[in-house]
Amino acid sequence: MDEILNSGNIPYVSEASVSVEIETEDMTLNIGPQHPSTHGVLRLVAKVDGEKISSVEPVLGYMHRGYEKLAEVRTYPQITTLVNRIDWVSGFANEIPFIAATEKLMEIEAPERAKHIRLILTEMARIASHFVFNGAYALEIGALTPIFLAMEDRERILDLIESVTGGRFHPNFNRIGGIKPAAGSGPTTKKNVQDLPSGFYQETRDAMEKVLEAVERMEDLVGGNEVFKMRTKGVGIISKELAEEYGVSGPILRASGVKFDLRTQTDFLPYDKFEYEIPTGENGDCYDRWYVRLVEMRESAKIILQAIDSMPSGPLQTKVPKVIKVPKGQSYVRTENPKGEMGYYIISEGGLGPYRLKIRTPSFSNISILPVLLEGQLLPDLIAIMGSLDFVLGDVDR
Amino acid sequence: MKMNLSNSPEFVESLTSAFPTLENKFDTLKITVKSSEWVEKVSQLKDEFNLTYFSWLSAIDWENEVSVGDPPKEPVTSHFEIVCCLSDSLEGNLVLISTDIEKEDAKIPSLVKVFAGSNWHEREAYEMFGIEFINHPNLTKMYLPDDYEGNPMLKSFELISREVKPWPGEVDVEGMPDDGAEENS
Repeated sequence: MDEILNSGNIPYVSEASVSVEIETEDMTLNIGPQHPSTHGVLRLVAKVDGEKISSVEPVLGYMHRGYEKLAEVRTYPQITTLVNRIDWVSGFANEIPFIAATEKLMEIEAPERAKHIRLILTEMARIASHFVFNGAYALEIGALTPIFLAMEDRERILDLIESVTGGRFHPNFNRIGGIKPAAGSGPTTKKNVQDLPSGFYQETRDAMEKVLEAVERMEDLVGGNEVFKMRTKGVGIISKELAEEYGVSGPILRASGVKFDLRTQTDFLPYDKFEYEIPTGENGDCYDRWYVRLVEMRESAKIILQAIDSMPSGPLQTKVPKVIKVPKGQSYVRTENPKGEMGYYIISEGGLGPYRLKIRTPSFSNISILPVLLEGQLLPDLIAIMGSLDFVLGDVDR
Repeated sequence: MKMNLSNSPEFVESLTSAFPTLENKFDTLKITVKSSEWVEKVSQLKDEFNLTYFSWLSAIDWENEVSVGDPPKEPVTSHFEIVCCLSDSLEGNLVLISTDIEKEDAKIPSLVKVFAGSNWHEREAYEMFGIEFINHPNLTKMYLPDDYEGNPMLKSFELISREVKPWPGEVDVEGMPDDGAEENS
């Protein structure tokens, strides 16, 4: 042995190992439907080559409740109960486009005060939803602390929503042509109409100050963390063209540099009266998506503070017939849900319920990009990318 | 905040000249085209009118005899209507484009070549209505189990829970079962 080694005829070991080719086979990895990082029951069938993902096929349907079919056997006021439960993290924001589409068909308009209250609660739902994202996303990346801070901060917002609507997650607060009398504000008489609970303005101001503080803290705590930056910067880049082609909307589209916010195109909520910024990202990576949502929370808090200061007085409900019948017609209305474009296409044949209700949800289109986005990525990045899309399975399956 | 309300008059005007069938009711623009021109017209909207944002695609089952909900007020010819919603991402113009296909021959070319995002929407319409999208890369079930039979969104498809169990609001409250039990003991 020593002779051979000394003779110098043996090639270097490293050279020998390079020339050997090992046949590798793709392994199928089943992620979900019960996986903590999928925010629910999404199943991914991934083909992996070592750490590298060669293809991903999302499997849906574990949360499919058939709302489009159920809507056909319900009356218009009953459907608000259903649509609450589509994206349960921001229940209130789901009601708005449905109510707006119905009001468009009936050609009625809610009073100014009702519109203001709707706007405040929609923005509160946005803040609550983004708090969940901020906490959960950091958790997925490996930081345990932010989720506890975010949940505590979100609780204040949910308490406010509850004080007005009586429900924390499913407010069911909108009525066609206005809003329900608020909960906890005393008995209704003809002279003394129920309105916002006493002390609501001050409590909201305090809560919004806390939100602004929380955003600062989160920016520092999570955004300043080197590990978080390394895990998210330059990971999962979505180009503008790809996002548009797949109908990706909301903060994800804005993180890719498209300044597209449906709040500026809404004529049924008074967004035009307030000053706010629309944050956009530059790179379209996970970090930008996180950052856009963080800044949005700050802007939402600003909108709420302005709306409280300029709250008009007046009735909460316009006159509508006792039995609501919607005239024949078709209407599509979309709004900026915390997760993106949420729209309802109502086809009315003049009955008590819609002939057909198409529900366009943001998460469905947002995650349809997953097979393209995850191809060629590393397995640990899968969690970072999926988390940054911030989807809710109720919003995907409907 | 500067508002940028959707569907500017100039846009509606230019669209009307290209598509005389344009309907503008309840702030919703809707174009009806022939099914043979489906892909061509959608591409035209994408390229010429800058509607590059694919919002959604779905179908409607027009039927006079329905097993759920109310039938249409005026009799309709039985057919499927395919609706696709396109928008642009800067000015917020939004258009619905629709086409009618026969139920006996429920086939239409897929839009996947024009908008890759239509993939999942077409799969959903295939599963829920039984419409075949020609040249679709992966026309399989989206939500339902593989061996599921039937297309749930069809108007002829009964909602089983409503058939077996009537709406609870219509049922009188029955006597408590332990009323008779006390006498026996």
